[in-house]
Amino acid sequence: MNVLVDFPVKPEARPYLEAFGRGAFGRQKREPDWLTGYRKGSLARFAELGFPSRRSESWRYLDLRGLEQTPMLPAGRAGVSAATRAQLAEIGLAEVAHRLVLVDGRFAPELSAIEGLPSGVWLGSMAAAIAERPDLVRSGIETPSLDASRPFAALNAAFFADGFVCDIPPGTALDRPVEILHLSSGETGGSLHTRSLVTVGAGSRVSVVESFIGLGSYWRNDVVELRLAAGAELARVALVEEAAGAVHFGEVLATLGPASRLSGFVLLLGGRTVRHEATVRSEGEGTRCALNGAFLLSGRQEANILTAVDHAAPGGETREMFKGVAAGRAHGAFQGRITVRPGAQKVDAHQLSRNLVLGPRASIDTKPELEIFADDVKCSHGAAVGDLDESAIFYLCARGIPNELARRMLIEAFVLEAIELVELPSLRDRLLSRVVRRLAILEE
Amino acid sequence: MTDTARVLEIKNLHARLTDGREILRGIDLSVASGEVHAIMGPNGSGKSTLAAVLAGRDGYEVSEGTVTYLGRELLAMSADERACEGLFLAFQYPVEIPGVNNMYFLRTAMNAQRRHRGEPELDAGQFLKAVRAQLKLLDIGEDLLQRAVNVGFSGGEKKRNEIFQMAMLEPRLAILDETDSGLDIDALKVVARGVNQQRAPDRVIVMITHYQRLLGYVEPDRVHVLRDGRIVQSGDKSLAVELERRGYGVLGDAA
Repeated sequence: MNVLVDFPVKPEARPYLEAFGRGAFGRQKREPDWLTGYRKGSLARFAELGFPSRRSESWRYLDLRGLEQTPMLPAGRAGVSAATRAQLAEIGLAEVAHRLVLVDGRFAPELSAIEGLPSGVWLGSMAAAIAERPDLVRSGIETPSLDASRPFAALNAAFFADGFVCDIPPGTALDRPVEILHLSSGETGGSLHTRSLVTVGAGSRVSVVESFIGLGSYWRNDVVELRLAAGAELARVALVEEAAGAVHFGEVLATLGPASRLSGFVLLLGGRTVRHEATVRSEGEGTRCALNGAFLLSGRQEANILTAVDHAAPGGETREMFKGVAAGRAHGAFQGRITVRPGAQKVDAHQLSRNLVLGPRASIDTKPELEIFADDVKCSHGAAVGDLDESAIFYLCARGIPNELARRMLIEAFVLEAIELVELPSLRDRLLSRVVRRLAILEE
Repeated sequence: MTDTARVLEIKNLHARLTDGREILRGIDLSVASGEVHAIMGPNGSGKSTLAAVLAGRDGYEVSEGTVTYLGRELLAMSADERACEGLFLAFQYPVEIPGVNNMYFLRTAMNAQRRHRGEPELDAGQFLKAVRAQLKLLDIGEDLLQRAVNVGFSGGEKKRNEIFQMAMLEPRLAILDETDSGLDIDALKVVARGVNQQRAPDRVIVMITHYQRLLGYVEPDRVHVLRDGRIVQSGDKSLAVELERRGYGVLGDAA
């Protein structure tokens, strides 16, 4: 593939170029030309950009040296093992109706249940959508919202093997959530690139729950695009419980039509290095966007939540609440940007970042950023980093509750405030039970 | 009176803040089972420090003296261990704990104490039954229990919640720190009724108070006057009446 090296190539990108040239990543052999062209263009972009440096504002809080020095090339797929099934049983929702499972970044039909959807709803793998619904996915994949400065989104575009597509036609409400499970077997190592798309038609309503879990050491690089038409409602919940040795990059790109409503929630519990970035563009009037979430970190975990909400139209509302907890030597960071463009009057935005640092070696950074170019808006933010309330710990202990349990109760209560913003009660309980499980080993 | 009837025995207790200021300067106090004692004193006399040191709050250093509780060295125990051994502190300022449901909190506390005593934990049904029996007594609505601990409670609700917890936890030694402060007369009567109902032959109640007011409703066996970190005078309930009439100013050198 000498054709690709007409570009300046960053040294750390070279192994990925070579892997692309070998075709050693198991993507579909017969791909449409537009996709192959798009992949090549994206790869060239990645080769040019290379890994981001810590001088880059949106990458300053993560240490990528390990990943940069030891390439994690796109991996193939292992068979579905008993361990994978056990993980599925542990993390899957009990009452879910529509389930799509990806193992090592590829659709696993034998574990999925995508039948019985209302007519007009299309739920399936990205690979199937490329073949069956090119009209839908081509513009989604080639979307210009993936701007030039995102090296790993470019890498994802070059290498994604699969993902999921969920298309809800106008005027359709799905009562039960669509559940997407991203499992990794731990048998293949390397990187897993998944690319997904959710489109919600005018006046439609759906909840999508994505869980990320795995074994061993791997790098998951996930990109999902969400498109909401006028009056559409989408609730998207992401639960990240990657393996202790895993790297997880999750990129969410959302476009909001007039009077649509997006509520995003992310809970980061597992993984060595975890990054979640949500970029929302409010393009129509009167949108409502809620982005909430939490991270709980210990040991040497690193996590970074980034949000960027861009109000390009008037009358939009944004609400954000993020709770961070770091123990041990863990490091967490929250960066939240809200932009109000000229003419986007009557925007009402509020952002809150509250953080608990447990112990002298843990740390959390929080960086709110408001960019306001309209004069008739209501925008505010609050950020706090602190320790547990000693008087509350004493109050609990004075009733006979042991110190460690008192601390766990207070941390749980702290995180609960964010989890309570998840609308589905069954899902709230599920997330809370994962938090309780994580808390049991947080301060060990 | 035998030694086992002595629930609390404080001898020459000295305590200072971590900044070095000495607040307690040699307290001696002996309380027998079944008794109700009142500790009175002006602001800054060390009343709340005494309560905090007995309950095991951080931030105080005991430099001298001993506290024996049911024959054991109280100061060697952690705060939660003291509570599990039957010591209860009704807080002057009950702490608001957002996100922790009042019922969940109380059930966790009761079960921690039951585990400590080697008793089986209460299930939700048993717990609720025990709760309902006590609610009426203190005029507490069930909605209060569904809220976060003390969050948004009025002053009176907070104090009633303390006495309610005391009734549920059935301590051997209850220390009420200014439980009467900030209560109107109706709330005071409800709280006093709750305290009186808790009087029992095997229980000790120590009321810390600035005013004589509560003692009109809960009659103490003994009254002690604390001043500058020492007990300067002790007597029966008539001492409280005298203090109310003549003020703390006339005391001080009597001891």
